[in-house]
Amino acid sequence: MKVAFRIWRQDNPNEKGGFKEYQVDNLNADMSFLEALDHLNELLVLRNEKVVAFEYDCREGICGQCGVFINGRAHGPHDNVTTCQLHMRSFQDGETIVIEPWRAKSFPVIKDLIVDRSAFDRIIEQGGYISAKTGTAPEANAIPIGKEISDRAMDAAACIGCGACVATCKNSSAALFTSAKINHLNLLPQGQPEAYRRVIEMTAQMAKEGFGHCTFTGACEVECPEGISITNIAEMNARYFKAKIFS
Amino acid sequence: MELFFRKSMIAVTGLFLCLFLIVHLSANCILLLPEEVARGLYNSYSTTLRENPLIKIVAYALYLSILLHVVYALLVSLRNKKAKPTKYAVNRSSENSTWASQNMGLLGAFILLFIVVHLANFWARIKLGMGDVVGTDALGNVDVYAVTSSLFHNIYYVIFYSFLMIPLGFHLHHGLKSAFKTLGFYHKAGLRLVAKIALIYAVIMSVGFGIIPLIVYFK
Ligand code: HEM
Ligand code: FES
Repeated sequence: MKVAFRIWRQDNPNEKGGFKEYQVDNLNADMSFLEALDHLNELLVLRNEKVVAFEYDCREGICGQCGVFINGRAHGPHDNVTTCQLHMRSFQDGETIVIEPWRAKSFPVIKDLIVDRSAFDRIIEQGGYISAKTGTAPEANAIPIGKEISDRAMDAAACIGCGACVATCKNSSAALFTSAKINHLNLLPQGQPEAYRRVIEMTAQMAKEGFGHCTFTGACEVECPEGISITNIAEMNARYFKAKIFS
Repeated sequence: MELFFRKSMIAVTGLFLCLFLIVHLSANCILLLPEEVARGLYNSYSTTLRENPLIKIVAYALYLSILLHVVYALLVSLRNKKAKPTKYAVNRSSENSTWASQNMGLLGAFILLFIVVHLANFWARIKLGMGDVVGTDALGNVDVYAVTSSLFHNIYYVIFYSFLMIPLGFHLHHGLKSAFKTLGFYHKAGLRLVAKIALIYAVIMSVGFGIIPLIVYFK
């Protein structure tokens, strides 16, 4: 299989950057998309050219490191899939594949396809945790939690922080990420002591980082590898209004 | 905090405008009756409204809503533009979201154009007395029916009024669904119902308002 990769190349945050096209053959349709990029990089090494910088860690869809914009979609042509779980069989032989880094003011490009997502870390620092005593792990069944609540909390907790929601959103809103992190903890008994402070401070940080307003286009929940529902954002709004009134 | 406040203001004013549209369309259905009945009924209805002090308050709430809706929509759109300074070279947004949801500002701009012309056609003539003098009907009521009827016998106005109800429909469909979520309604089955109602509402409003000028023209 043979494709042309049209890739965004940018040496550092201050450089302007631009697209460069690479013809790659001897690809196998069963290769993962990242393996095809590895193959390209091996060719570039042999040609004494700079390799394409892209991020990954687990390559099994759980760490959230690998996101790039492929042919106009976050994480490529499929819904609810990470870039590392995408395979070359999803493309046509001879196709030109356009690869861009996530685009958002709050996610500046570091190099080529790698962006700085530390804005997410700073949102988490404002309350994406619970206060718990250290020491031996408590008995797992000491605090009973209903199935409906635990399901909703676990669905929100599935967020891997890949940034596809921000990348695909026309407003670069971080509402899906932030709401998943808030709801996951605020639904559970362990999250109650900081519940109001968490929603106020995490959303304040989200605003400070320069993310846009959510206008519910719904693009985020389609591109989210974990299928986090957009109703989480509505739930975050409800929690915000409640916190403002009662705290 | 501004991220919630601005968007909530758009939602609250938008929902208020949506309620107004129901009342407005119901009243305008009078125009579909045969002329002998319609003229008297429409003019007396309009006079009743104009003379009711309560309606005055509602009218000012309406003007204020439009103003706030537009101002906050502008602020929200500006922040959103700033948050995405670089656009993608290739973007297949139609595969993950509706066109209307991606273009609410543009759709709103069409509606604003409509509102300005619409107010110039009616409000400026009837309330401010600008343009040709408006006569009275047999009962002595201001002949608003005549203003409407003469406007909708001008094919250019008919096209303008009817055509601009298409962007209105798209704006209302996304807007209604979005407003509930903005205001914190997150019940899943409830939101599915809201989505259905929003579609029905948007179709009724855009077809309803859009067809009246055509029917009056061909009557
Ligand atoms: C009859 C007049 C109008 C009605 C009934 C209406 C209704 C609505 C509603 C219900 C919303 C949803 C609020 C939310 O998302 O929470 C909305 C959003 C919005 N409206 Fe309007 N609107 C009208 C006129 C306008 C005008 C004249 C403009 C601009 C010039 C405008 C621009 C916007 C924008 C930018 C949004 C937010 C976009 C988004 O949520 O994606 N609207 N409108
Ligand atoms: S590399 Fe870990 S999710 Fe893709």
